[in-house]
Amino acid sequence: MTTLLSRPPDLVQPVPAAAPDAPRPRRSRRWIGTLATPVVVFVFSSLLTFGLGALSPSNPAAAVLGETATPADIARMNHEFGLDRPLPVQYLDWLFSALQGDLGRSYFTTIPVADSIFAALPVDLALAGLAVLLAVLIGGAAGIAAALRQGSRLDRAVTAVASGLGTLPPFVLGIGLIVIFAVLLKALPAGGYVPLEQGAGAWLRFAILPALALSLDIAASIARQLRTSLVGQLGENYVTGAVVRGLGARRVLFRHALRNAIGPALTVLGMGVPMVLGGAVVTEKIFNLPGLAQLTLQASSQHDIPLIQGTLLVTVTVVLICNTLVNVAVLRLTPQGRR
Amino acid sequence: MSTLTAARPSLRRFRWLPSVRFAVAVLAVVAFLAVFGGAVAPHDPLLQDPDLALRGPSPAHPFGTDYLGRDVFSRLLAGTGTTVAAALQSVGVGLALGVLPGLASLWLGRGVEWMLLRAVDAVMTLPFIVFAIAVTGVLGNGLTQAMVAIGVLFAPLFFRVTRAAGLSLTRAQYVEAAELFGASRWRILRTHVWGKVVPTVAVTAAQATGGALLAVSSLTFLGIGVQPPAPTWGGVLASELGFLAQQPWAPVIPAALIMLAVAALNALADAIRPGGAA
Amino acid sequence: MSSSLTRRSFLGLGAAAGTATLLAACGDGTVAAPGAAGGTLKWGWSSVTSWDPVTSSAGWDVHLLSLVYAGLTKLDEQGNAVPALATGWKYDSAGTTLTFTLRPGLKFSDGTALDAAAVKKSLERGRDLPKSLVAAQLANVKAVTAPDATTVVLGLAEPDYQIPNLLAGKTGMIVSPAAIDADAAALATKPVGAGPFTLTSYVQNAKAVLTRNPDYWDAANIKLGGFEAYPLPEPATVVAALQSGQYDVAQIPGSQVEAAKAAGLQVQVIPSLVVAVLDVNITKKPFDDPKVTEALRYAVDRAALLKTAQFDHGEVAYQPFPKGYAGYSNSLEGIYQYDPGKAKQLLAQSSYGTSPVEVVITTAKAEGVPEQLQSQLNAAGFKATIEVIPQAQATQLVYVQHSKALFVDQFAGRDSAVQAFQVLFGKEGLMNPGRQTPQELVDALAKVSRTPLDDPSYPSVLQAATAIAVKSMPNVFLYSVPRILARRAGVSAIPGFTAVQRFEGVTVS
Repeated sequence: MTTLLSRPPDLVQPVPAAAPDAPRPRRSRRWIGTLATPVVVFVFSSLLTFGLGALSPSNPAAAVLGETATPADIARMNHEFGLDRPLPVQYLDWLFSALQGDLGRSYFTTIPVADSIFAALPVDLALAGLAVLLAVLIGGAAGIAAALRQGSRLDRAVTAVASGLGTLPPFVLGIGLIVIFAVLLKALPAGGYVPLEQGAGAWLRFAILPALALSLDIAASIARQLRTSLVGQLGENYVTGAVVRGLGARRVLFRHALRNAIGPALTVLGMGVPMVLGGAVVTEKIFNLPGLAQLTLQASSQHDIPLIQGTLLVTVTVVLICNTLVNVAVLRLTPQGRR
Repeated sequence: MSTLTAARPSLRRFRWLPSVRFAVAVLAVVAFLAVFGGAVAPHDPLLQDPDLALRGPSPAHPFGTDYLGRDVFSRLLAGTGTTVAAALQSVGVGLALGVLPGLASLWLGRGVEWMLLRAVDAVMTLPFIVFAIAVTGVLGNGLTQAMVAIGVLFAPLFFRVTRAAGLSLTRAQYVEAAELFGASRWRILRTHVWGKVVPTVAVTAAQATGGALLAVSSLTFLGIGVQPPAPTWGGVLASELGFLAQQPWAPVIPAALIMLAVAALNALADAIRPGGAA
Repeated sequence: MSSSLTRRSFLGLGAAAGTATLLAACGDGTVAAPGAAGGTLKWGWSSVTSWDPVTSSAGWDVHLLSLVYAGLTKLDEQGNAVPALATGWKYDSAGTTLTFTLRPGLKFSDGTALDAAAVKKSLERGRDLPKSLVAAQLANVKAVTAPDATTVVLGLAEPDYQIPNLLAGKTGMIVSPAAIDADAAALATKPVGAGPFTLTSYVQNAKAVLTRNPDYWDAANIKLGGFEAYPLPEPATVVAALQSGQYDVAQIPGSQVEAAKAAGLQVQVIPSLVVAVLDVNITKKPFDDPKVTEALRYAVDRAALLKTAQFDHGEVAYQPFPKGYAGYSNSLEGIYQYDPGKAKQLLAQSSYGTSPVEVVITTAKAEGVPEQLQSQLNAAGFKATIEVIPQAQATQLVYVQHSKALFVDQFAGRDSAVQAFQVLFGKEGLMNPGRQTPQELVDALAKVSRTPLDDPSYPSVLQAATAIAVKSMPNVFLYSVPRILARRAGVSAIPGFTAVQRFEGVTVS
């Protein structure tokens, strides 16, 4: 539920995968839109991110230099960080450097921001990957099972658990998992992290609890979404017809009904990525993971503007890439998209 | 996208299911406490007694005391107002920034529409808590700043549901007919569109409020936007978690309270939305 | 790598913690042969702001930095300067020339020689670098000369017998000149010193991996093969993290001591020089009225604060030094005993009369002590409100702009008593936002600097200065903050150094 933060699963429901541009353009144009829109959105997002830093009322030089600062020191430092230039120049310089992989240096540690971020990013990516996988497996299985046995005790249980998960404050779930698996069962470590390069088994031991904490509420929304649309599809005439014509139930489910029902669930998944990255703050804090969100939290408490801007920009870029991939998947997988 | 029109909620379908009665009852209590919580609290929620710190439930303190010996029951009652106000604040910002641009995108031409859609896409790429942290990092660590940040991120949601609900109407025949008969845009908006958009927005607002409650508590847990000693639900929960060793049961109470309120909001939204409560 | 150890191996069934550990798998309590490596210690501690001692901005950094850097001197468990890189030192009769004799054949971890020229360059960098945060402490050092490879001479502007103590801390950490010349900015993440360990990999806020430095001057007493430092988790999960083997040793809050003991962990409460204190600005309302400042001292119930903040671990404090320290003055014990009635009386005599005196308590974290302080002040006739500002802004607003009247702070202690006085009470002192120091105190402090530490009169001279400071300065000392370390059963006891935590003789099995 960490993910749930503020976008409960149902909120996602009425939102279409792509912006509902009417009338529906031809297929080639939709492909161009799917691939070109993110570029425009990236520029918008980068403006937002940069603007946030530019709005900051505090003088970073004074904050960094501490008690020994003199006006000359502050001027020198402002010059060193290029803060004495006009804002549009600063923005363009920042953006173009960022595109070349240079996000500036932290005000405090003078460590290149890109170095810090790319040390932290793999943690989030690996974790988000595992979380999404778990969400699809758990949510998919629960959703399909509930839809096939509509109205059964199982169905009601899935619905109840899925609804319940969406109401739980994210950190409660994280600490609950620690109490159960680390303190009571002593089966898994309470926190910490081992990079994937040091062995998948070791990594999994540390990653499984936080990934579970991150995945459960996306799993819940996938289950609910899939159940609703699958119930709808299973009631359609073509399914009844296919069953009457003697097609196997499994074939009908996976080749037809699921395919038609998967669009909204995929969209939920696409929106799940920013939710995972957003929710990761709380999870990273509880499980003491060296991820991007911890970096943002620390940067924020220090007013380290380049680090704040850098982490936001990279997060936004990751989200955009994931959204684009999901949109492409929706276009390719669902019949509506292929038509 | 066809499901969108089908999912358009309608207040006429509203039924008094048991879950709805439960939800309304819970929300009525929460609303009452939001206004009168401080008045009905048995103790001063700020009154400290360090000698009584971290005690279990007793007749005088039904939910025990916190790390400063304050009555947890009174703190939860008195904290309802701030908690609810913060959630509503962010939803209000989301509504203000989402609904009108959502409608504007339908009627102000392709250029405005395109710009607004891209802006919304951009805002939607921002991860909630990370953005709220960044905003408070830059603009100051207050509950208002944090909730405005959350509200800004709610805006795309309201924008899109408003737009989706309105979109079906722009192509509805009676609206076209009204346009043909020369009705003004404002009149169409007011009489035809508004009545259809409001229920959709109401569902979204109910759920967004639930989401905002969770977001406030998460931010409080991270030490963002908190204003002690004033109590909030999330604040009580976060501080109780620091004393798990002393009182492992204590966080259950504020957590249950938050869950109950969020569940009630979700149940209410489900009831308004057709098919959602199945 | 040892971080990938399974829990079972922590129980001693399969110890393959890095390459070094294979050499000596010593059992509990047995003392390893000199030079042998005894496992890798995983330490939970706050991350460093920078690995460059000259630009590091947090007091707690010194503990991690001292793993990588060595100084000319170090402090023993009583806080006296003893030889480290230097075998000894001598003042001239005027107390303005200080001559250190270095150990021969010292090397930095990059293999370059640590000679007198290197010491000169490192100290001068600390004094002269515009970004240096230790420059103020070295301002009295007029000249550093290196007449031969093992002799360093410090010429002082004023007599100051505290320099050997001062150089035991961050100020005196010797940085490799080769590294400074190559890329000084890189020192923030790639330190090169001559400490007991060498940093081999570092991920900011995540993990620092260090291996034993065989060239360290005191390598014989370093039993650990390696060191891994991780940032601390939430208080709620720190005990679970220790239990599951994520750390071998971690700092825990007072609230977790009972839980840690119940979980079978060893808990050490090590007295430290850290003390909780209120920074009071006597140029800001309401403290521009001396009666109000005096009332504040009696309005604070230190014992109650200590109980909330640390579950009674530590002691109530009325002065900057802990009991047993040379500067601790017995005469100050209980001097400002909690007396809300007296505080009320003093407020009534102030220019505010009987109306509540409004005061803003500024803090970086409102929960706990500031909340309780608010309630205590209100009971004594104040009308207190709490203002929360981020820690980074606190530095700027409190220490630089001096714009806050009352700030809830902690003083990390300093290696030298005079340095501590300067920070707390000096005209330019960080924690003296009012920027005023009575002449009486200036004179007392000058006398301390001029008194050799081995002079029999030194303790009484220092204690006199402490008494003057506590009576004339507005700072309100609250309670001492011990270093509470919890460790797994396989880790031997951690030595109790008050200033900088070092790990001589520590083993992990």
